[in-house]
Amino acid sequence: MDARADELREGLARYLAAKRGAIWDVEPGTHIPGGASRETWRFQASADGERQGLIVRIDPESSLIDTDRATEYRAIAAAFHAGLPAPEPLYLEADTAWLGRPFSITTEIPGCMASADTMPGEHLAKLGAQKWTWLGKLAALDPIALGVDDVMAMTTPLSCAMEQMEYWAKVIIDDEIHPSPIAEAAVRWLRRHPPPPAQKLSLVHGDYRTGNFLYNSEGDIKAILDWEMAHIGDPLEDLAWSLDPLWCFHTPELAGRLIPHKEAVRHWEAGSGMKVDPKAFRWWQVFAAVKGIGIWISSSEDFHRGASKLPILAIAGWLMTDRQQRILADYLSPHSAHRYVEAVT
Amino acid sequence: MIPKAAESLGHLAQRIAMDLIPKAPDEYAATDMGFITFLISMAAQDLERFADVHVREDLITAAIFRAVRPHLSDVGLQSRIDEALGSHAASLRASDLNARADLTTRLLIDLHAAVETAMDRDEAWAKTLNDQIWTFLDGYAERRAYDVPF
Repeated sequence: MDARADELREGLARYLAAKRGAIWDVEPGTHIPGGASRETWRFQASADGERQGLIVRIDPESSLIDTDRATEYRAIAAAFHAGLPAPEPLYLEADTAWLGRPFSITTEIPGCMASADTMPGEHLAKLGAQKWTWLGKLAALDPIALGVDDVMAMTTPLSCAMEQMEYWAKVIIDDEIHPSPIAEAAVRWLRRHPPPPAQKLSLVHGDYRTGNFLYNSEGDIKAILDWEMAHIGDPLEDLAWSLDPLWCFHTPELAGRLIPHKEAVRHWEAGSGMKVDPKAFRWWQVFAAVKGIGIWISSSEDFHRGASKLPILAIAGWLMTDRQQRILADYLSPHSAHRYVEAVT
Repeated sequence: MIPKAAESLGHLAQRIAMDLIPKAPDEYAATDMGFITFLISMAAQDLERFADVHVREDLITAAIFRAVRPHLSDVGLQSRIDEALGSHAASLRASDLNARADLTTRLLIDLHAAVETAMDRDEAWAKTLNDQIWTFLDGYAERRAYDVPF
């Protein structure tokens, strides 16, 4: 690890000097745990009395999700320039000469946490209100005006749902190590019950959940992170994903361990200016669980067959698959007590 | 053989959690070791229940296959049912039980799809079979649940 840290520190110092035309002193970095899609490091760099915290996201040898760093970087840039809480994007670098693999750099948001376990109890309602209001505001933006359509596939309000569904259905089939009878039953249900067309197309974050935003001790959300699955689609996709019971498995009555589901939806509606159609939401709710299974199966496949043996891949692949299957069975089984179905309207 | 293998894995997980993680050189290594602790604990749970889950599910799916077969007109599915009912796992080794489960689960998935199609045609038998399959799937999810402290 020390050799890797030194190698990255030296490479980063050379890179900053080349980009900024000045000698930047880079302190030893910290490898940030938890993420699986990128190797993420925090560095402090200084030059001429100026000090700057930097987050460096390096392409992995193997990851939870196969994503394009340009998509992530452009989504962060779009959110940042639209006034959403997001880190300031600084550099996107494809040349492997600097750090051995392609990478991106954003500013550090200091003094913040991301873990659901450390959320200040007295600020849960405040965090919840911000979390879903910001998501609503993201939903209200026009992806064309944001300029992300040159790195993200364009879609239509009529086709976006099935396109996403078929993408994840294929991931499940392609990556499964053993057959997935519950996931496949859910995929058939989704095909048989197509949702109404999207009310509008939006920039969909793709992984909007507790754990993927930075907050401070005052309960203010300072940055939305992890945009690597961003795409253009139905904004209900993000809402349903954010309300998936996986993120509040032991407290299903509290969306994202923050506030009741109905309140979350009320904040989203206020932020987006849209009303949630329960029939459409139901479809996206089942879709979210199917997408989850796709991600967890894919990470399990990566762990077993891929180059990386990161334990987080196995945690996702084993534990999350278990829980997501129970959620799907709860949604779809005729015998279900619907423990995980919370009213949203 | 390792005496009480599942228990032994639990002890190893505990050793990592209690004694080694506090000595980890940095937060990243500590987090990794924490994940490994949980994974060992989950592997221990699977080791304990693995054969029971597969043998039990083989019996349940066989009952479903027998119940569905008379209603099917698809010769290919009938033939796969006959093949599944006429065979069994090559041994009780994990690899052989897994191979058997993959075969029967894939067949169950295809039968479930056929049952749903029959339900669309309002064929009375199909609803009963669909309920039976979902009872199996409810149990399938529960039998694979891990006991973890988060």
